[in-house]
Amino acid sequence: MPPVLVVEGVRKSFGGVAAVNDVSLALEPGRIYGLIGPNGSGKTTLFNCITGIERMDAGRVTFAGQRIDGLKPWQIARRGIGRTFQIIRVFPELTALENLLVVTRGAHGEAERRGRELLDFVRLGPLAGEYAGNLSYGQQKLVEFVRMLMTDPTLILLDEPAAGVNRTLLNDLLDAVSRLRDAGKTVLLVEHDMKVVMGLCETVFVLDHGEKIAEGPPGAIQADERVIEAYFGR
Amino acid sequence: MNVVTPAMLGQVIVSGILAGSLYAMVALGLGLIFGVMRVINIAHGPLLMLGAYTTFFLTTHAGMNPFLTVPVSMAALFVVGVVLQRGLVFRVVDAPELSSLLLTFGISIALVNLAQLTFTSDLRAVEYITGSWVLGGLAFSKPRVIAFAFAVGVTALSFLLLKTTRLGKAIRATSQSREVAMVCGVDVGRIHMLTFGFASALAAAGGALLAVIVAIQPEMGGVWTFKSFLVIVLGGAGNYPGALLGGLLLGLVEQVASLFLTTQLSEVVAYVLLVLVLLVRPSGLLGGRQT
Amino acid sequence: MKRALAVVALLLLAALAAYPVFGTGYGVRSIQQIFMWVALAGSWNLISGLTGYVSFGHVAFFGAGAYTGAILVASAGWPWPVAALAGGAASMVLAVVIGYPCLRLKGPYFAIAMLGLNEVLRALVSYFEGLTGGGNGLSLPTLDAAVPIYYVMGVLALAVTAMSWLIVTSRFGLRLMTIREDEVAAEAMGIDTFHHKLGAFLLSAVGPGVAGALTARDQGYIEPISVFPLAVTVTMIVMALFGGKGTVFGPVLGAVVLFIAQEIVWARYPYVHPLLFGALIVMVVLLMPRGVLGLLQQRYRLPRTI
Repeated sequence: MPPVLVVEGVRKSFGGVAAVNDVSLALEPGRIYGLIGPNGSGKTTLFNCITGIERMDAGRVTFAGQRIDGLKPWQIARRGIGRTFQIIRVFPELTALENLLVVTRGAHGEAERRGRELLDFVRLGPLAGEYAGNLSYGQQKLVEFVRMLMTDPTLILLDEPAAGVNRTLLNDLLDAVSRLRDAGKTVLLVEHDMKVVMGLCETVFVLDHGEKIAEGPPGAIQADERVIEAYFGR
Repeated sequence: MNVVTPAMLGQVIVSGILAGSLYAMVALGLGLIFGVMRVINIAHGPLLMLGAYTTFFLTTHAGMNPFLTVPVSMAALFVVGVVLQRGLVFRVVDAPELSSLLLTFGISIALVNLAQLTFTSDLRAVEYITGSWVLGGLAFSKPRVIAFAFAVGVTALSFLLLKTTRLGKAIRATSQSREVAMVCGVDVGRIHMLTFGFASALAAAGGALLAVIVAIQPEMGGVWTFKSFLVIVLGGAGNYPGALLGGLLLGLVEQVASLFLTTQLSEVVAYVLLVLVLLVRPSGLLGGRQT
Repeated sequence: MKRALAVVALLLLAALAAYPVFGTGYGVRSIQQIFMWVALAGSWNLISGLTGYVSFGHVAFFGAGAYTGAILVASAGWPWPVAALAGGAASMVLAVVIGYPCLRLKGPYFAIAMLGLNEVLRALVSYFEGLTGGGNGLSLPTLDAAVPIYYVMGVLALAVTAMSWLIVTSRFGLRLMTIREDEVAAEAMGIDTFHHKLGAFLLSAVGPGVAGALTARDQGYIEPISVFPLAVTVTMIVMALFGGKGTVFGPVLGAVVLFIAQEIVWARYPYVHPLLFGALIVMVVLLMPRGVLGLLQQRYRLPRTI
C-alpha cells in the first residue's frame, strides 16, 4: 500500500537557527509511529510544518498521494489530518460539547449525537455543558483529543499526549490510540515518556538538533549509539 | 503631473531624512513597548502631544529655550508613562491583546479630552526659529535640522543604553523571552514600568521637537500613533534598529508621494503602504518577530 | 420564565411602536438615537465581540453609508428608504474592499489598520470634492421625516439584534468565537478563519451603513467631520463593552444605559464626554471585561445566547 504521509527534505529555520534540517520520513497506513528526541530537537516544528501552521523553507509533504505543502492549515485539516497540541488548545469559552460541534460541518443533530458519543467514550458525558475553560487539565486534554476525532481524520498527529496525565487516564488514551490504529488510522506521536513510546509504537523516528538521526523499531532505537549520545551526551 | 528634476529629488531626499529621523525616534518608543510587553500602545500619540504642550508652556511661561525643554519634557512624560503603566497597563500585559488595545484606546481618548479641557483646542505655536539654510541649491529647514540633530542624538543614546547598560540588556532580554529573563533574575515588572516610561519619554521628545515645527493642538498625536505603527511594521516588530530604517523609509516615501499627490492623499499613501507591507511581508520589511 | 419575558418584550415593542403618536418631538428623537446606537453597537459586536478582531474604524461604514445615501437623495433624487438600503450595500462593498487585505492580518495588526481607516476616508472625501461637496458638506432637500425615520431605525435595531441572536446561536457563531479563543487551533481544526472573519465583517458593516444614510436624511446636511468622527467609534465601543461584548443583548443594554447617561451628562457637562467614555472603557476593561451581561452570565449561570 502507498504510504499515507511522505515528508521529504523539510527545512525550517528561525532567525538563522535551523529548527528542522532536511528531515524525511514516510508513514505506512494503519501503524503507530513515534517521534522522539531531546528538547528543542524540532519535533513540534515538524508537526507545524506538516499541518501548515509554519511555512517550510524547503521540502515537500505528500498526504494520501497529494502535495499538501503550501496549503493553509484548515485545508490540510479538512483533507484528513488531525492533531493535538503540546500545550492544550481547547476553546475555553465554549462548552465541551461546543468544542466538538464547532469542527463539524454536517447536520446539527447528527453532529451533536456524535459529539455526545465521543464525550461519553472518554467519560466526560456529564460535563458536556461545562465551559471547557473550567475543566481540569486532564479533562481538557481529553476534550482536545476527542475534538480531533470529530473530524474523522485519516492521519493523527499527537503532540505529547502523555504529558501531565495520570496513569489511568493515560491507559485509556493509549487504549483509544490502539483502537484507532486497528480501525485503519495512522498515528504519529511525539512523546518524552519512553515507556509509552516503546510500548505502543511500531517504528520510532529520532530527531536531534533538527535532523533525523535514527529510524527503526523501538528495541533497535534504544540500543542505537547515536540516540543514546543525543540524549545523554558522550 | 510635475516634471521631476534632480533638484526636486534631492530636496525630497533631504526632507525625507529630516522628517524620518523624528518618525524613527518616536516609533522606537512604540516598538519597545510592543517588544517588551506585547502591548499596542494606542496612547503613544497623545503622549507625544503632552510632550509638545510641556515644551509650549515651559517656553512661553518660563521663558526657556524650546530645545532645552526637550530633556524636561522627556523627564516629565517618563514619569507619566511609569504612572500609567504601574496604575493601569500592567494589569493587561498578560490578558488577550484585545484588552490592551481597548485599554490604551480608552486612555488615549481620555488624555486627548483632558488636553482639550485643560489647554483648549486653540492652536498653539512656539516661535523660535524659522527659515532654511541653503546648501548646494537645497533648502534645509532650520527647525527641522535642529530637530534632526536632537532626534539622532536621543536615538543614539537610546541604543547605547540598550546595548551597554544593565538596564538595556534586561530590556532586550525581556523583549526576547520574558520567562528566560525572569529565570536570569530580571525583575520583569520593573522592566515593564521603566520601558513604558522610557518609551513615553521618546514620544515626548518627538513632541517637544515638533512644537517648534508644527501647530500644537490636542489631537495632533493621533496620526503619530498610526505612523509609528507603520514604522514598526516596516522595520519589523521587535527589531529595534529596524525602526530607524523604517522611520527613514516612511519619511522618504511620504516626501516622494507629495511630489505627485496632494498632501491630503499622502496619508492615504501611508495607509496603503501599511496594508501592502503587512500583506506581503507580515514580519516587516527587515524581518522581525510576529505577534 | 421565558413566556413572561416574551410578553414583556412584545409589550415593550408595542409601546415603542405607538410612542410617536403621543410622545414629544424630543422623545421621538431620543428614542430614535437609541435605536441607532443599538444598531451600531450591535454591529460592532459582531466582528469585535465575537471574533476578537477589534475594529477601531467602524465609523467608516457609518460615514460611507451617510455619503452614499446623501448623494443618492440629493443628486439622483432617490427616495430616502431606498437610499438607506443603498447605504448599507455600499458599506458592505467597502467592507469587502477593506476586509480582504486587512483581515489576513493578525488581530493586533488588523486593529492598527482599522485605526488609520478614519483618516484615510476623511482625506478621500475631501479629495473627491466634486461628488461629496468636500469640506463644505452636502445638503439634502428639506424634508421632515422624523417619524418614518424613527420606525425605520427601529426596524434596523431589531434586525441587527435578531441577526446577532441568529449568529450567536448557530455553529457559524461558534466558529467565529473560536477565532477569538484560539485562531491557530481553529485553523488546525479545519475552520477557514479568513472567510469567517470576512463574513462577520460584512455583516457588521450593513447596520452602520444604513444608519448613516438615515442620519444623513434626518439631519439634512452632512460634512466629513460629522459623519466620520472618532466619537462615534468610541461610543459604539464603550456601549458594546459596557453591556457585554460577545453577547446578544449586551450592546442593547449598553446603548440604552449609556445613551441615557450621556443625555444627562451632556446637559450639565458637555465637554467631558470623551474623557468619561475613555475612562469608562478603561474601567470596563480592567474591572468588568465581559460587561454587565457577561458578569450576570457568570454569576447566575445564564445561557450564552442572551
